[in-house]
Amino acid sequence: MTDTALEAAALGKRFGRLRRSAGWALRDCSFALPAGRVCAVVGPNGAGKSTLLALAAGLLAPTEGTLSVLGEPVGQARARVGFVAQDKPLYPQLTVAETLRMGGDLNPGRWDARAAERIVAGGDLDPKARVRSLSGGQRTRVALALALGKRPELLLLDEPMADLDPLARHELMGVLMSQAAQHGTTIVMSSHVVAELEDSCDHLLLIGGGRVRLAGEIDALLETHARVSAAADTDLAPHTVVESRTTGRQLTALIRPAAPLPADWRPGTPSLEELVLSYLRNPEAQTTAPGTPAKSPEESAV
Amino acid sequence: MSTLAVRSTLRLHRPAALAWALALAAATAYLIRLHALADEARKGISACAVPAQDGLPLCSAVEAITADATYSDGIALVTGCLALLMFPVAAWAGAVVGRELETGTARLAWTQSTPPTRWLANRLTVPATLLTVGTATVVLLNNWARGDDNPNLVGDWYYSEVFIGTGPAAVAHALAGLALGTLAGLLTGRALAGAGVALAACLVLHNAVDLFRADLWPTLTRVGAFEPPRSYFQVDWSADETRLTFHPASHYWPLQYVETGVLLALAAAATAAAFVLLRRRTA
Repeated sequence: MTDTALEAAALGKRFGRLRRSAGWALRDCSFALPAGRVCAVVGPNGAGKSTLLALAAGLLAPTEGTLSVLGEPVGQARARVGFVAQDKPLYPQLTVAETLRMGGDLNPGRWDARAAERIVAGGDLDPKARVRSLSGGQRTRVALALALGKRPELLLLDEPMADLDPLARHELMGVLMSQAAQHGTTIVMSSHVVAELEDSCDHLLLIGGGRVRLAGEIDALLETHARVSAAADTDLAPHTVVESRTTGRQLTALIRPAAPLPADWRPGTPSLEELVLSYLRNPEAQTTAPGTPAKSPEESAV
Repeated sequence: MSTLAVRSTLRLHRPAALAWALALAAATAYLIRLHALADEARKGISACAVPAQDGLPLCSAVEAITADATYSDGIALVTGCLALLMFPVAAWAGAVVGRELETGTARLAWTQSTPPTRWLANRLTVPATLLTVGTATVVLLNNWARGDDNPNLVGDWYYSEVFIGTGPAAVAHALAGLALGTLAGLLTGRALAGAGVALAACLVLHNAVDLFRADLWPTLTRVGAFEPPRSYFQVDWSADETRLTFHPASHYWPLQYVETGVLLALAAAATAAAFVLLRRRTA
Protein backbone atom coordinates (compact mmCIF):
# COMPACT_ATOMS: atom_id res chain seq x y z
CA MET A 1 0.00 0.00 0.00
CA THR A 2 1.29 3.39 -0.89
CA ASP A 3 0.22 6.91 0.07
CA THR A 4 0.10 8.25 -3.46
CA ALA A 5 -2.63 7.08 -5.79
CA LEU A 6 -1.46 9.01 -8.84
CA GLU A 7 1.78 10.83 -9.43
CA ALA A 8 2.67 12.58 -12.66
CA ALA A 9 6.00 14.15 -13.50
CA ALA A 10 6.28 16.35 -16.62
CA LEU A 11 3.63 14.14 -18.19
CA GLY A 12 2.82 14.83 -21.82
CA LYS A 13 0.81 13.15 -24.56
CA ARG A 14 0.81 14.11 -28.21
CA PHE A 15 -1.57 12.67 -30.77
CA GLY A 16 -0.49 12.36 -34.37
CA ARG A 17 3.21 12.33 -35.10
CA LEU A 18 2.99 14.42 -38.26
CA ARG A 19 1.81 17.60 -36.62
CA ARG A 20 4.83 19.08 -34.91
CA SER A 21 3.29 21.40 -32.33
CA ALA A 22 -0.47 21.16 -32.60
CA GLY A 23 -1.15 17.67 -31.32
CA TRP A 24 -0.38 18.01 -27.62
CA ALA A 25 -3.40 16.94 -25.56
CA LEU A 26 -1.46 17.20 -22.31
CA ARG A 27 1.87 18.84 -21.58
CA ASP A 28 4.07 19.40 -18.54
CA CYS A 29 1.61 17.90 -16.09
CA SER A 30 3.03 17.36 -12.63
CA PHE A 31 0.86 16.59 -9.65
CA ALA A 32 0.45 14.08 -6.86
CA LEU A 33 -2.87 12.73 -5.71
CA PRO A 34 -2.83 11.22 -2.21
CA ALA A 35 -4.55 7.85 -1.79
CA GLY A 36 -8.01 7.62 -0.27
CA ARG A 37 -9.28 10.85 -1.81
CA VAL A 38 -12.25 11.47 -4.04
CA CYS A 39 -10.74 13.68 -6.69
CA ALA A 40 -12.57 15.76 -9.24
CA VAL A 41 -10.85 16.37 -12.57
CA VAL A 42 -12.50 19.42 -14.03
CA GLY A 43 -11.90 21.48 -17.09
CA PRO A 44 -13.57 22.61 -20.29
CA ASN A 45 -14.26 20.24 -23.17
CA GLY A 46 -11.07 19.20 -24.88
CA ALA A 47 -8.90 20.19 -21.94
CA GLY A 48 -7.21 16.79 -21.72
CA LYS A 49 -9.27 15.20 -18.95
CA SER A 50 -10.02 12.03 -20.89
CA THR A 51 -6.41 11.78 -22.05
CA LEU A 52 -5.18 12.02 -18.48
CA LEU A 53 -7.57 9.29 -17.32
CA ALA A 54 -6.69 7.05 -20.28
CA LEU A 55 -3.00 7.48 -19.46
CA ALA A 56 -3.67 6.55 -15.84
CA ALA A 57 -5.64 3.48 -16.94
CA GLY A 58 -2.76 2.33 -19.13
CA LEU A 59 -4.74 2.69 -22.35
CA LEU A 60 -2.25 5.14 -23.80
CA ALA A 61 1.48 5.40 -23.49
CA PRO A 62 2.75 8.87 -22.52
CA THR A 63 4.80 10.75 -25.13
CA GLU A 64 6.99 12.24 -22.42
CA GLY A 65 7.31 12.26 -18.66
CA THR A 66 6.16 9.58 -16.27
CA LEU A 67 2.99 8.59 -14.50
CA SER A 68 2.88 6.15 -11.64
CA VAL A 69 -0.24 4.59 -10.22
CA LEU A 70 -0.43 3.30 -6.65
CA GLY A 71 3.36 3.49 -6.50
CA GLU A 72 3.89 1.34 -9.59
CA PRO A 73 4.42 2.06 -13.27
CA VAL A 74 1.00 2.27 -14.95
CA GLY A 75 1.19 -1.05 -16.81
CA GLN A 76 1.93 -3.05 -13.67
CA ALA A 77 -0.90 -1.68 -11.56
CA ARG A 78 -3.60 -2.75 -14.05
CA ALA A 79 -5.23 -5.29 -11.73
CA ARG A 80 -5.66 -2.68 -8.98
CA VAL A 81 -7.20 0.01 -11.16
CA GLY A 82 -10.80 0.22 -12.36
CA PHE A 83 -11.76 2.37 -15.32
CA VAL A 84 -15.03 3.44 -16.87
CA ALA A 85 -14.66 5.25 -20.19
CA GLN A 86 -16.86 8.15 -21.16
CA ASP A 87 -18.86 6.19 -23.77
CA LYS A 88 -19.23 3.16 -21.42
CA PRO A 89 -18.14 0.54 -23.97
CA LEU A 90 -19.58 -2.92 -23.38
CA TYR A 91 -19.90 -5.96 -25.62
CA PRO A 92 -23.39 -5.52 -27.12
CA GLN A 93 -23.85 -9.22 -27.90
CA LEU A 94 -23.50 -10.34 -24.27
CA THR A 95 -26.24 -10.36 -21.67
CA VAL A 96 -25.83 -8.45 -18.42
CA ALA A 97 -25.10 -11.69 -16.56
CA GLU A 98 -22.54 -12.76 -19.18
CA THR A 99 -20.85 -9.36 -18.96
CA LEU A 100 -20.40 -9.87 -15.23
CA ARG A 101 -19.15 -13.43 -15.77
CA MET A 102 -16.61 -12.00 -18.21
CA GLY A 103 -15.50 -9.65 -15.43
CA GLY A 104 -14.95 -12.69 -13.23
CA ASP A 105 -13.00 -14.51 -15.94
CA LEU A 106 -10.73 -11.57 -16.71
CA ASN A 107 -10.05 -10.62 -13.08
CA PRO A 108 -9.26 -13.96 -11.47
CA GLY A 109 -8.59 -13.70 -7.75
CA ARG A 110 -9.99 -10.19 -7.44
CA TRP A 111 -13.58 -10.46 -8.60
CA ASP A 112 -16.36 -9.72 -6.13
CA ALA A 113 -19.38 -11.19 -7.92
CA ARG A 114 -21.78 -10.28 -5.13
CA ALA A 115 -20.86 -6.60 -5.14
CA ALA A 116 -21.19 -6.41 -8.93
CA GLU A 117 -24.56 -8.16 -8.92
CA ARG A 118 -25.81 -5.86 -6.17
CA ILE A 119 -25.07 -2.77 -8.25
CA VAL A 120 -26.82 -4.25 -11.27
CA ALA A 121 -29.79 -5.36 -9.18
CA GLY A 122 -30.17 -1.82 -7.85
CA GLY A 123 -31.16 -0.70 -11.33
CA ASP A 124 -33.97 -3.21 -11.80
CA LEU A 125 -32.04 -4.78 -14.67
CA ASP A 126 -32.90 -8.16 -16.11
CA PRO A 127 -29.65 -10.19 -16.00
CA LYS A 128 -30.75 -11.96 -19.19
CA ALA A 129 -31.17 -8.71 -21.13
CA ARG A 130 -28.66 -8.16 -23.94
CA VAL A 131 -26.41 -5.17 -23.41
CA ARG A 132 -27.42 -3.79 -26.83
CA SER A 133 -31.00 -3.42 -25.58
CA LEU A 134 -30.06 -1.30 -22.54
CA SER A 135 -30.57 2.43 -22.18
CA GLY A 136 -27.62 4.77 -21.61
CA GLY A 137 -28.21 4.89 -17.89
CA GLN A 138 -28.48 1.13 -17.61
CA ARG A 139 -25.22 0.73 -19.51
CA THR A 140 -23.54 3.11 -17.09
CA ARG A 141 -24.75 0.95 -14.25
CA VAL A 142 -23.37 -2.25 -15.82
CA ALA A 143 -20.07 -0.53 -16.64
CA LEU A 144 -19.76 0.68 -13.04
CA ALA A 145 -20.61 -2.80 -11.74
CA LEU A 146 -17.86 -4.23 -13.94
CA ALA A 147 -15.35 -1.67 -12.67
CA LEU A 148 -16.29 -2.02 -9.01
CA GLY A 149 -16.47 -5.82 -9.19
CA LYS A 150 -12.71 -6.04 -9.51
CA ARG A 151 -12.39 -4.24 -6.18
CA PRO A 152 -10.06 -1.54 -7.45
CA GLU A 153 -7.85 0.48 -5.17
CA LEU A 154 -8.07 3.32 -7.66
CA LEU A 155 -11.23 3.94 -9.65
CA LEU A 156 -11.00 6.19 -12.72
CA LEU A 157 -14.32 7.49 -14.02
CA ASP A 158 -14.57 9.62 -17.15
CA GLU A 159 -17.77 11.69 -17.05
CA PRO A 160 -19.49 8.86 -15.18
CA MET A 161 -22.86 10.45 -14.56
CA ALA A 162 -23.38 12.26 -17.86
CA ASP A 163 -26.29 10.16 -19.10
CA LEU A 164 -28.06 9.38 -15.84
CA ASP A 165 -31.29 10.88 -14.59
CA PRO A 166 -31.01 12.79 -11.29
CA LEU A 167 -32.39 9.90 -9.27
CA ALA A 168 -29.99 7.30 -10.67
CA ARG A 169 -27.16 9.83 -10.44
CA HIS A 170 -27.83 10.34 -6.77
CA GLU A 171 -28.10 6.63 -6.08
CA LEU A 172 -24.96 5.64 -8.00
CA MET A 173 -23.00 8.48 -6.46
CA GLY A 174 -24.07 7.02 -3.11
CA VAL A 175 -22.79 3.59 -4.17
CA LEU A 176 -19.45 5.14 -5.17
CA MET A 177 -19.11 7.13 -1.97
CA SER A 178 -19.89 4.12 0.22
CA GLN A 179 -17.33 2.15 -1.79
CA ALA A 180 -14.78 4.86 -1.12
CA ALA A 181 -15.64 4.99 2.56
CA GLN A 182 -15.75 1.22 3.09
CA HIS A 183 -12.66 0.15 1.17
CA GLY A 184 -10.65 3.34 1.11
CA THR A 185 -10.87 3.35 -2.68
CA THR A 186 -9.38 6.40 -4.33
CA ILE A 187 -11.83 7.76 -6.88
CA VAL A 188 -10.84 10.09 -9.68
CA MET A 189 -13.73 11.36 -11.75
CA SER A 190 -13.84 13.90 -14.48
CA SER A 191 -16.71 16.22 -15.20
CA HIS A 192 -17.42 19.60 -16.62
CA VAL A 193 -20.37 20.05 -14.30
CA VAL A 194 -18.69 21.40 -11.21
CA ALA A 195 -21.82 21.54 -9.06
CA GLU A 196 -22.15 17.78 -9.46
CA LEU A 197 -18.81 17.22 -7.75
CA GLU A 198 -18.91 19.79 -4.99
CA ASP A 199 -20.64 17.59 -2.40
CA SER A 200 -18.77 14.38 -3.04
CA CYS A 201 -15.19 15.35 -3.85
CA ASP A 202 -12.48 16.50 -1.50
CA HIS A 203 -9.68 17.01 -3.99
CA LEU A 204 -9.52 19.05 -7.15
CA LEU A 205 -7.47 18.80 -10.30
CA LEU A 206 -8.25 21.64 -12.66
CA ILE A 207 -7.05 21.11 -16.21
CA GLY A 208 -7.12 23.65 -18.96
CA GLY A 209 -5.33 23.77 -22.28
CA GLY A 210 -3.53 20.51 -21.58
CA ARG A 211 -1.96 21.74 -18.34
CA VAL A 212 -2.73 21.43 -14.65
CA ARG A 213 -4.06 24.83 -13.59
CA LEU A 214 -4.87 24.08 -9.99
CA ALA A 215 -4.46 21.05 -7.76
CA GLY A 216 -5.12 20.42 -4.12
CA GLU A 217 -7.62 19.75 -1.35
CA ILE A 218 -10.81 21.62 -2.13
CA ASP A 219 -11.14 23.05 1.40
CA ALA A 220 -7.59 24.32 1.36
CA LEU A 221 -8.03 25.82 -2.11
CA LEU A 222 -11.18 27.65 -1.04
CA GLU A 223 -9.47 28.91 2.12
CA THR A 224 -6.50 30.31 0.25
CA HIS A 225 -8.70 32.25 -2.15
CA ALA A 226 -10.97 35.15 -1.40
CA ARG A 227 -13.68 36.99 -3.26
CA VAL A 228 -13.42 40.70 -2.62
CA SER A 229 -15.24 43.82 -3.67
CA ALA A 230 -13.69 47.23 -3.35
CA ALA A 231 -13.61 50.62 -5.00
CA ALA A 232 -12.64 50.56 -8.66
CA ASP A 233 -9.31 52.30 -8.17
CA THR A 234 -8.06 49.90 -5.46
CA ASP A 235 -4.61 48.44 -6.03
CA LEU A 236 -4.85 44.71 -5.38
CA ALA A 237 -1.08 44.19 -4.97
CA PRO A 238 0.62 42.29 -3.37
CA HIS A 239 -2.15 39.72 -3.65
CA THR A 240 -2.25 37.35 -6.63
CA VAL A 241 -5.20 38.26 -8.80
CA VAL A 242 -6.96 35.39 -10.50
CA GLU A 243 -9.78 37.44 -11.95
CA SER A 244 -10.97 40.97 -11.51
CA ARG A 245 -13.91 42.79 -12.99
CA THR A 246 -14.87 46.44 -12.74
CA THR A 247 -18.48 47.50 -13.00
CA GLY A 248 -18.93 51.24 -12.57
CA ARG A 249 -17.10 52.28 -9.43
CA GLN A 250 -17.14 48.76 -8.05
CA LEU A 251 -14.35 46.21 -8.47
CA THR A 252 -14.97 42.53 -7.74
CA ALA A 253 -12.07 40.15 -7.81
CA LEU A 254 -11.02 36.64 -6.94
CA ILE A 255 -7.60 36.79 -5.37
CA ARG A 256 -5.12 34.68 -3.53
CA PRO A 257 -4.29 36.86 -0.54
CA ALA A 258 -0.63 37.23 0.33
CA ALA A 259 -1.42 39.13 3.53
CA PRO A 260 -4.46 39.78 5.75
CA LEU A 261 -7.08 41.67 3.76
CA PRO A 262 -8.48 45.06 4.77
CA ALA A 263 -12.00 44.71 6.15
CA ASP A 264 -13.50 47.26 3.73
CA TRP A 265 -12.77 44.89 0.82
CA ARG A 266 -15.54 42.70 2.23
CA PRO A 267 -13.64 39.44 1.72
CA GLY A 268 -15.68 36.26 1.37
CA THR A 269 -14.98 32.60 0.64
CA PRO A 270 -15.73 31.74 -2.98
CA SER A 271 -17.75 28.70 -3.95
CA LEU A 272 -15.99 25.91 -5.77
CA GLU A 273 -17.83 26.79 -8.96
CA GLU A 274 -16.74 30.45 -8.72
CA LEU A 275 -13.17 29.38 -8.15
CA VAL A 276 -13.13 26.99 -11.08
CA LEU A 277 -14.84 29.42 -13.44
CA SER A 278 -12.46 32.22 -12.48
CA TYR A 279 -9.46 30.10 -13.37
CA LEU A 280 -11.03 28.83 -16.58
CA ARG A 281 -11.97 32.32 -17.72
CA ASN A 282 -8.44 33.55 -17.13
CA PRO A 283 -5.94 31.18 -18.69
CA GLU A 284 -3.20 33.69 -17.91
CA ALA A 285 -3.72 33.54 -14.15
CA GLN A 286 -0.74 32.26 -12.23
CA THR A 287 -1.25 28.58 -11.71
CA THR A 288 1.04 27.54 -8.87
CA ALA A 289 -1.44 27.20 -6.09
CA PRO A 290 -0.15 27.43 -2.53
CA GLY A 291 -2.97 25.03 -1.64
CA THR A 292 -1.17 22.18 -3.38
CA PRO A 293 0.16 19.99 -0.62
CA ALA A 294 3.92 19.93 -0.76
CA LYS A 295 5.22 16.44 -1.33
CA SER A 296 6.22 14.92 1.97
CA PRO A 297 9.46 12.90 2.17
CA GLU A 298 7.51 9.61 2.56
CA GLU A 299 5.62 10.26 -0.64
CA SER A 300 8.62 11.05 -2.73
CA ALA A 301 10.38 7.96 -1.42
CA VAL A 302 7.89 5.67 -3.18
CA MET B 1 -3.33 -19.22 -21.51
CA SER B 2 -5.89 -19.79 -18.91
CA THR B 3 -9.16 -21.58 -19.52
CA LEU B 4 -10.94 -18.50 -18.16
CA ALA B 5 -9.51 -16.35 -20.94
CA VAL B 6 -10.42 -18.97 -23.55
CA ARG B 7 -13.92 -19.12 -22.17
CA SER B 8 -14.36 -15.37 -22.30
CA THR B 9 -13.05 -15.21 -25.88
CA LEU B 10 -15.40 -17.98 -27.00
CA ARG B 11 -18.31 -16.30 -25.23
CA LEU B 12 -17.75 -13.16 -27.32
CA HIS B 13 -17.43 -14.99 -30.62
CA ARG B 14 -20.05 -17.66 -30.16
CA PRO B 15 -21.67 -17.08 -33.59
CA ALA B 16 -18.33 -17.37 -35.39
CA ALA B 17 -17.37 -20.51 -33.46
CA LEU B 18 -20.78 -22.00 -34.20
CA ALA B 19 -20.50 -21.16 -37.90
CA TRP B 20 -17.07 -22.78 -38.03
CA ALA B 21 -18.36 -25.93 -36.31
CA LEU B 22 -21.31 -26.11 -38.73
CA ALA B 23 -19.04 -25.64 -41.74
CA LEU B 24 -16.77 -28.43 -40.51
CA ALA B 25 -19.70 -30.76 -39.91
CA ALA B 26 -21.12 -30.03 -43.36
CA ALA B 27 -17.74 -30.57 -45.04
CA THR B 28 -17.25 -33.85 -43.18
CA ALA B 29 -20.66 -35.18 -44.13
CA TYR B 30 -20.22 -34.09 -47.74
CA LEU B 31 -16.76 -35.67 -48.04
CA ILE B 32 -18.02 -38.97 -46.63
CA ARG B 33 -20.75 -38.96 -49.29
CA LEU B 34 -18.20 -38.13 -51.99
CA HIS B 35 -15.94 -40.93 -50.83
CA ALA B 36 -18.86 -43.36 -51.14
CA LEU B 37 -19.42 -42.09 -54.66
CA ALA B 38 -15.77 -42.45 -55.76
CA ASP B 39 -15.92 -46.01 -57.18
CA GLU B 40 -19.03 -45.23 -59.21
CA ALA B 41 -17.39 -42.00 -60.44
CA ARG B 42 -14.30 -43.87 -61.64
CA LYS B 43 -16.57 -46.17 -63.68
CA GLY B 44 -18.06 -43.06 -65.28
CA ILE B 45 -14.74 -42.08 -66.87
CA SER B 46 -13.41 -45.52 -67.77
CA ALA B 47 -12.40 -46.41 -71.30
CA CYS B 48 -15.25 -47.77 -73.41
CA ALA B 49 -15.91 -49.39 -76.74
CA VAL B 50 -18.71 -49.66 -79.30
CA PRO B 51 -19.65 -52.46 -79.42
CA ALA B 52 -18.41 -53.70 -76.03
CA GLN B 53 -15.19 -55.72 -76.43
CA ASP B 54 -12.02 -56.77 -74.58
CA GLY B 55 -13.82 -56.40 -71.26
CA LEU B 56 -14.47 -52.69 -71.93
CA PRO B 57 -17.99 -51.49 -71.17
CA LEU B 58 -20.30 -50.08 -73.79
CA CYS B 59 -19.84 -46.29 -74.25
CA SER B 60 -23.53 -45.51 -73.88
CA ALA B 61 -23.48 -47.34 -70.54
CA VAL B 62 -20.48 -45.29 -69.38
CA GLU B 63 -22.07 -42.05 -70.51
CA ALA B 64 -25.22 -42.91 -68.61
CA ILE B 65 -23.23 -42.75 -65.36
CA THR B 66 -23.53 -39.23 -63.86
CA ALA B 67 -21.68 -39.94 -60.64
CA ASP B 68 -18.37 -38.71 -62.10
CA ALA B 69 -19.73 -35.21 -62.63
CA THR B 70 -21.30 -35.07 -59.16
CA TYR B 71 -18.06 -36.35 -57.65
CA SER B 72 -15.79 -33.97 -59.59
CA ASP B 73 -17.92 -30.96 -58.80
CA GLY B 74 -18.14 -31.89 -55.13
CA ILE B 75 -14.41 -32.41 -54.75
CA ALA B 76 -13.71 -29.17 -56.61
CA LEU B 77 -16.10 -27.31 -54.33
CA VAL B 78 -14.52 -28.54 -51.09
CA THR B 79 -10.98 -28.09 -52.40
CA GLY B 80 -11.80 -24.58 -53.61
CA CYS B 81 -13.29 -23.63 -50.24
CA LEU B 82 -10.14 -24.85 -48.50
CA ALA B 83 -7.93 -22.89 -50.88
CA LEU B 84 -9.89 -19.66 -50.43
CA LEU B 85 -10.43 -19.99 -46.67
CA MET B 86 -7.90 -17.23 -45.96
CA PHE B 87 -10.26 -14.59 -47.35
CA PRO B 88 -13.23 -15.03 -45.00
CA VAL B 89 -10.85 -15.62 -42.08
CA ALA B 90 -8.95 -12.39 -42.78
CA ALA B 91 -12.13 -10.36 -43.25
CA TRP B 92 -13.54 -11.74 -40.02
CA ALA B 93 -10.37 -11.04 -38.02
CA GLY B 94 -10.04 -7.54 -39.47
CA ALA B 95 -13.67 -6.74 -38.71
CA VAL B 96 -13.63 -8.19 -35.20
CA VAL B 97 -10.43 -6.47 -34.07
CA GLY B 98 -11.34 -3.25 -35.88
CA ARG B 99 -14.76 -3.23 -34.24
CA GLU B 100 -13.27 -3.73 -30.78
CA LEU B 101 -11.15 -0.63 -31.28
CA GLU B 102 -13.94 1.31 -32.98
CA THR B 103 -16.56 0.75 -30.29
CA GLY B 104 -14.09 0.96 -27.41
CA THR B 105 -14.65 -2.57 -26.11
CA ALA B 106 -10.91 -3.11 -26.53
CA ARG B 107 -10.40 -0.41 -23.89
CA LEU B 108 -12.82 -2.29 -21.68
CA ALA B 109 -10.77 -5.47 -22.11
CA TRP B 110 -7.47 -3.66 -21.55
CA THR B 111 -8.59 -2.26 -18.21
CA GLN B 112 -9.32 -5.66 -16.70
CA SER B 113 -6.53 -7.38 -14.82
CA THR B 114 -4.57 -8.58 -17.85
CA PRO B 115 -2.46 -6.39 -20.13
CA PRO B 116 -3.46 -5.53 -23.73
CA THR B 117 -0.91 -7.97 -25.13
CA ARG B 118 -2.70 -10.81 -23.34
CA TRP B 119 -5.96 -9.67 -24.92
CA LEU B 120 -4.34 -9.86 -28.34
CA ALA B 121 -2.81 -13.25 -27.55
CA ASN B 122 -6.26 -14.59 -26.62
CA ARG B 123 -7.85 -13.08 -29.71
CA LEU B 124 -5.23 -14.89 -31.82
CA THR B 125 -4.67 -18.26 -30.15
CA VAL B 126 -8.29 -19.32 -29.79
CA PRO B 127 -9.21 -18.89 -33.48
CA ALA B 128 -5.76 -20.10 -34.59
CA THR B 129 -6.25 -23.36 -32.69
CA LEU B 130 -9.76 -23.90 -34.03
CA LEU B 131 -8.62 -23.06 -37.58
CA THR B 132 -5.63 -25.38 -37.45
CA VAL B 133 -7.54 -28.35 -36.10
CA GLY B 134 -10.57 -27.84 -38.35
CA THR B 135 -8.67 -27.15 -41.55
CA ALA B 136 -6.26 -30.02 -41.03
CA THR B 137 -9.19 -32.39 -40.45
CA VAL B 138 -10.97 -31.31 -43.62
CA VAL B 139 -7.73 -31.55 -45.65
CA LEU B 140 -7.23 -35.14 -44.45
CA LEU B 141 -10.85 -36.03 -45.21
CA ASN B 142 -10.54 -34.34 -48.59
CA ASN B 143 -7.49 -36.41 -49.49
CA TRP B 144 -9.31 -39.53 -48.33
CA ALA B 145 -12.31 -38.69 -50.51
CA ARG B 146 -10.08 -37.89 -53.50
CA GLY B 147 -8.94 -41.50 -53.47
CA ASP B 148 -6.20 -42.18 -56.02
CA ASP B 149 -6.04 -38.52 -57.12
CA ASN B 150 -7.07 -39.31 -60.70
CA PRO B 151 -6.42 -35.98 -62.48
CA ASN B 152 -9.35 -36.59 -64.80
CA LEU B 153 -11.71 -36.55 -61.83
CA VAL B 154 -10.15 -34.26 -59.25
CA GLY B 155 -7.78 -32.06 -61.25
CA ASP B 156 -4.00 -32.02 -61.50
CA TRP B 157 -1.97 -31.58 -58.32
CA TYR B 158 -0.43 -28.31 -59.51
CA TYR B 159 -3.71 -26.45 -60.00
CA SER B 160 -3.66 -23.60 -57.52
CA GLU B 161 -6.78 -24.71 -55.62
CA VAL B 162 -5.83 -28.38 -55.66
CA PHE B 163 -2.31 -27.63 -54.48
CA ILE B 164 -3.46 -25.50 -51.52
CA GLY B 165 -6.48 -27.63 -50.64
CA THR B 166 -4.68 -30.96 -50.35
CA GLY B 167 -1.74 -30.25 -48.06
CA PRO B 168 -0.45 -28.40 -45.00
CA ALA B 169 -0.40 -25.21 -47.10
CA ALA B 170 -4.18 -24.98 -46.51
CA VAL B 171 -3.59 -24.48 -42.77
CA ALA B 172 -0.77 -21.99 -43.40
CA HIS B 173 -2.96 -19.95 -45.77
CA ALA B 174 -5.76 -19.77 -43.18
CA LEU B 175 -3.35 -18.76 -40.39
CA ALA B 176 -1.76 -16.09 -42.59
CA GLY B 177 -5.26 -14.74 -43.22
CA LEU B 178 -5.93 -14.61 -39.47
CA ALA B 179 -2.66 -12.80 -38.72
CA LEU B 180 -3.03 -10.31 -41.58
CA GLY B 181 -6.65 -9.63 -40.63
CA THR B 182 -5.74 -8.99 -37.00
CA LEU B 183 -2.95 -6.61 -37.99
CA ALA B 184 -5.26 -4.82 -40.44
CA GLY B 185 -7.88 -4.41 -37.70
CA LEU B 186 -5.30 -2.97 -35.29
CA LEU B 187 -3.88 -0.62 -37.90
CA THR B 188 -7.21 0.76 -39.12
CA GLY B 189 -9.14 0.68 -35.85
CA ARG B 190 -12.35 0.38 -37.87
CA ALA B 191 -14.46 -2.70 -38.55
CA LEU B 192 -15.20 -2.08 -42.21
CA ALA B 193 -11.78 -0.65 -43.05
CA GLY B 194 -10.13 -3.52 -41.18
CA ALA B 195 -12.02 -6.12 -43.19
CA GLY B 196 -11.32 -4.26 -46.45
CA VAL B 197 -7.60 -3.88 -45.86
CA ALA B 198 -7.38 -7.51 -44.75
CA LEU B 199 -9.10 -8.69 -47.93
CA ALA B 200 -6.86 -6.54 -50.11
CA ALA B 201 -3.73 -7.87 -48.39
CA CYS B 202 -4.94 -11.45 -48.87
CA LEU B 203 -5.72 -10.84 -52.52
CA VAL B 204 -2.17 -9.65 -53.08
CA LEU B 205 -0.69 -12.52 -51.07
CA HIS B 206 -2.82 -15.21 -52.70
CA ASN B 207 -1.90 -14.06 -56.20
CA ALA B 208 1.76 -13.56 -55.35
CA VAL B 209 1.98 -17.11 -54.02
CA ASP B 210 0.26 -18.37 -57.17
CA LEU B 211 2.67 -16.46 -59.35
CA PHE B 212 5.84 -17.59 -57.62
CA ARG B 213 4.83 -21.12 -56.61
CA ALA B 214 6.87 -22.71 -59.41
CA ASP B 215 10.00 -20.95 -58.16
CA LEU B 216 9.75 -22.33 -54.64
CA TRP B 217 11.73 -25.45 -55.55
CA PRO B 218 14.38 -26.12 -58.26
CA THR B 219 12.78 -27.31 -61.50
CA LEU B 220 13.88 -30.18 -63.77
CA THR B 221 14.89 -29.49 -67.35
CA ARG B 222 14.89 -32.00 -70.19
CA VAL B 223 16.23 -31.32 -73.69
CA GLY B 224 15.44 -33.38 -76.74
CA ALA B 225 13.07 -36.24 -77.27
CA PHE B 226 11.51 -36.99 -73.93
CA GLU B 227 8.29 -38.49 -72.72
CA PRO B 228 7.27 -36.38 -69.69
CA PRO B 229 5.75 -38.19 -66.69
CA ARG B 230 2.03 -38.05 -66.09
CA SER B 231 0.62 -34.91 -64.47
CA TYR B 232 3.77 -32.82 -64.71
CA PHE B 233 3.78 -29.09 -63.83
CA GLN B 234 5.08 -27.31 -66.94
CA VAL B 235 7.05 -24.21 -66.07
CA ASP B 236 8.66 -23.38 -69.43
CA TRP B 237 8.83 -24.91 -72.88
CA SER B 238 10.67 -23.84 -75.99
CA ALA B 239 9.85 -25.47 -79.29
CA ASP B 240 13.19 -24.70 -81.07
CA GLU B 241 15.33 -26.90 -78.93
CA THR B 242 12.50 -28.96 -77.48
CA ARG B 243 13.51 -27.99 -74.00
CA LEU B 244 11.00 -28.62 -71.18
CA THR B 245 11.30 -27.12 -67.71
CA PHE B 246 8.87 -28.69 -65.24
CA HIS B 247 8.07 -29.98 -61.78
CA PRO B 248 7.33 -33.72 -61.65
CA ALA B 249 4.59 -34.90 -59.30
CA SER B 250 7.31 -35.91 -56.82
CA HIS B 251 7.96 -32.19 -56.21
CA TYR B 252 4.55 -31.89 -54.58
CA TRP B 253 5.85 -32.31 -51.02
CA PRO B 254 8.95 -30.08 -51.22
CA LEU B 255 6.79 -27.38 -52.79
CA GLN B 256 4.17 -27.85 -50.05
CA TYR B 257 6.77 -27.52 -47.30
CA VAL B 258 8.34 -24.39 -48.74
CA GLU B 259 4.99 -22.69 -49.35
CA THR B 260 3.79 -23.62 -45.86
CA GLY B 261 7.02 -22.27 -44.38
CA VAL B 262 6.81 -19.00 -46.28
CA LEU B 263 3.20 -18.39 -45.24
CA LEU B 264 3.81 -19.32 -41.61
CA ALA B 265 6.80 -16.96 -41.53
CA LEU B 266 4.58 -14.22 -42.92
CA ALA B 267 1.89 -14.97 -40.33
CA ALA B 268 4.53 -14.81 -37.59
CA ALA B 269 5.83 -11.48 -38.90
CA ALA B 270 2.31 -10.00 -39.02
CA THR B 271 1.62 -11.25 -35.49
CA ALA B 272 4.88 -9.79 -34.19
CA ALA B 273 4.05 -6.47 -35.85
CA ALA B 274 0.63 -6.48 -34.18
CA PHE B 275 2.19 -7.04 -30.75
CA VAL B 276 4.80 -4.34 -31.27
CA LEU B 277 2.11 -1.90 -32.39
CA LEU B 278 -0.07 -2.62 -29.37
CA ARG B 279 2.82 -2.42 -26.93
CA ARG B 280 3.91 0.94 -28.30
CA ARG B 281 0.41 2.38 -28.14
CA THR B 282 -0.48 1.33 -24.60
CA ALA B 283 1.29 1.46 -21.28
